[in-house]
Amino acid sequence: MAVSLLARLAAAAPAPVFAVAGIDGLRAVERLALDPRVELVASPRHAAILLVAGEIRPEDRADLYRLHDQMPHPRATVWWASEPLFAGIPVGPHGFPAGDLADLHRALAARAMDSDPDILPDEPPNPWRGKGDYGQGGEGMMGGTPYGRPMAMTADDLRDGLALDAYSATFGPFLPAFPPGLVLDLTLQGDVIQSAEVLRPPYLQHELRGPAAYLRRAARLVRLLGLPAVAERLRRRPEGCGALARTGVFAAIPAGLGRLGGYDVRDRLRAWCEERTPPPLPEEARLAPLLPGLEWHAAVLVINSFTDAELRSLCGAREVAA
Amino acid sequence: MTTALLSLAALLLGGAWMAAVMDRLAVAWISGRPAARAFVEPLARAAGLLLRQPVTTERPDATGRVLAPALYLALAAIGLSVVPVAEGVVLTDLSTGIVLWGACEALTVVVVFLHGWSANAPLPLIGAYRYVAIALPTLLLSMFVLIAAALPAESLSVTAIVDSQREVWNVVRQPPGLVLFLMLGLALTFRGPFDYADPEDLAGGTAAETSGPARAAWQAARLCMLVAVAGMASAVFLGGPLGPWLPGPLWLVLKMVAVLALLVAATHLLARLPPSRMLTALWVVLLPAAFLDLVLVGVELLL
Repeated sequence: MAVSLLARLAAAAPAPVFAVAGIDGLRAVERLALDPRVELVASPRHAAILLVAGEIRPEDRADLYRLHDQMPHPRATVWWASEPLFAGIPVGPHGFPAGDLADLHRALAARAMDSDPDILPDEPPNPWRGKGDYGQGGEGMMGGTPYGRPMAMTADDLRDGLALDAYSATFGPFLPAFPPGLVLDLTLQGDVIQSAEVLRPPYLQHELRGPAAYLRRAARLVRLLGLPAVAERLRRRPEGCGALARTGVFAAIPAGLGRLGGYDVRDRLRAWCEERTPPPLPEEARLAPLLPGLEWHAAVLVINSFTDAELRSLCGAREVAA
Repeated sequence: MTTALLSLAALLLGGAWMAAVMDRLAVAWISGRPAARAFVEPLARAAGLLLRQPVTTERPDATGRVLAPALYLALAAIGLSVVPVAEGVVLTDLSTGIVLWGACEALTVVVVFLHGWSANAPLPLIGAYRYVAIALPTLLLSMFVLIAAALPAESLSVTAIVDSQREVWNVVRQPPGLVLFLMLGLALTFRGPFDYADPEDLAGGTAAETSGPARAAWQAARLCMLVAVAGMASAVFLGGPLGPWLPGPLWLVLKMVAVLALLVAATHLLARLPPSRMLTALWVVLLPAAFLDLVLVGVELLL
């Protein structure tokens, strides 16, 4: 009784969807974000439905399986213009799944359909390779790579020479703050990036032209500056960025952040707002050297201040910076 | 006692729902998205979360994960309990009410860190570290501001501070105080320009790995803390339940709604600075401003 009441109430909320954009899938996902029947959430833990839009690279499939298994039950998957890799509801490239997603959300809440089972076995992704005093292979109780994942170990800080715990992890390919497909191997101390390596470049996205394309890029940055409602307004009402300065977005971005080809993040945002194309980036420019020394938030702003094509060229070769 | 307890519960629950509705309305108004279901949507979202599974991460700090939202909610309730609902009706009538509120502020930092730490995952941990760095100077700011508000009353009791505003509200005597206190409110609830704990660039930060009922509890606790901040701001700067014609509790509710509206507008309309830039702004500009506020109030009272 109580559950059916909750289920009826839950149906009034927009469907919480975690969207994975594959090759040429970003535009479709960004169009879906404007539909009030759907809410695109920032973490798979917050979602009831996984939406895969566009094809996924073979090397990203294991990540997609893991991401799927991280979602809470009851859950479902929708494949939009994408070859299904596991169970789910397919939607053609010319369809628009907002209505399907809302129906699916209602059915899941009412327990009218089965929840997707796990794809991978529930065990560590790598074997235990521990040795040493505490079995993890580092020094004392720190360091080592017990399950193929490095544990934190003290190292000198880049900025002030304090010895703090350095922690390495792989971020991407479906982290919503990154362009889809981008995989970075980062070593962090607190939230400061100590070293960065590009493991996989972002997916190829069909580039739009015209004012809408500029506003979409500006909206991505504005969203990451903590203003999702203002970003949505930019996309919904093509009145330009006139009121944007009042929100303090330009003042919030530090001067000189991510400067390449004479333009920093603030200049690139301003250019997009004025519907201008920033000057082309130097050919030899690479993403990885831009990131060390930056805090996570600043690094995310830098990464999102390039067009998809520019970012792909910045990630062109496998490179290391420290 | 019973009246005070019941009114505290009503204020917290009603206020949390109200704040969530105002959030939906603000988003609809700014973004141009339809607002048809704004009044039901917060409850509907909560119902959806209650129906989903609470996922555990690999080797979490299980006690910490359960404790964090519960303690956060408790801190909001304890903080609000020092606010007089009407003349003579206050749940915790301490002669050091301001100090109790200050303790709730300080412990909030611990609880939010615990929430990020206990998930045993990188993004929540980054959110937790970041929050501590920003919240500590913000707390110092609030200490100066609250002592300045207590000076005219010559007491640390919130009831006495309300009483001292019979002639003129503190917001008129020390307007920067309210502005700085509202910034603290945004930091305590990590919203908008002060959302360094659970922002989108960290995929939800300390809550990135939280799902189902645990997430509902965390969101509810955040909203309750926002209500507590609105209650405290109304009592300390806007005369709490004081006012002509209308009954006291109604005055308090009206003032709290006005403060909530300001907090919600700031959440959705002001950009967030990168943490190091915010840290510089806090230590170099806002903290001296808060101290100046205190000095000016002190000098004015001496003259």
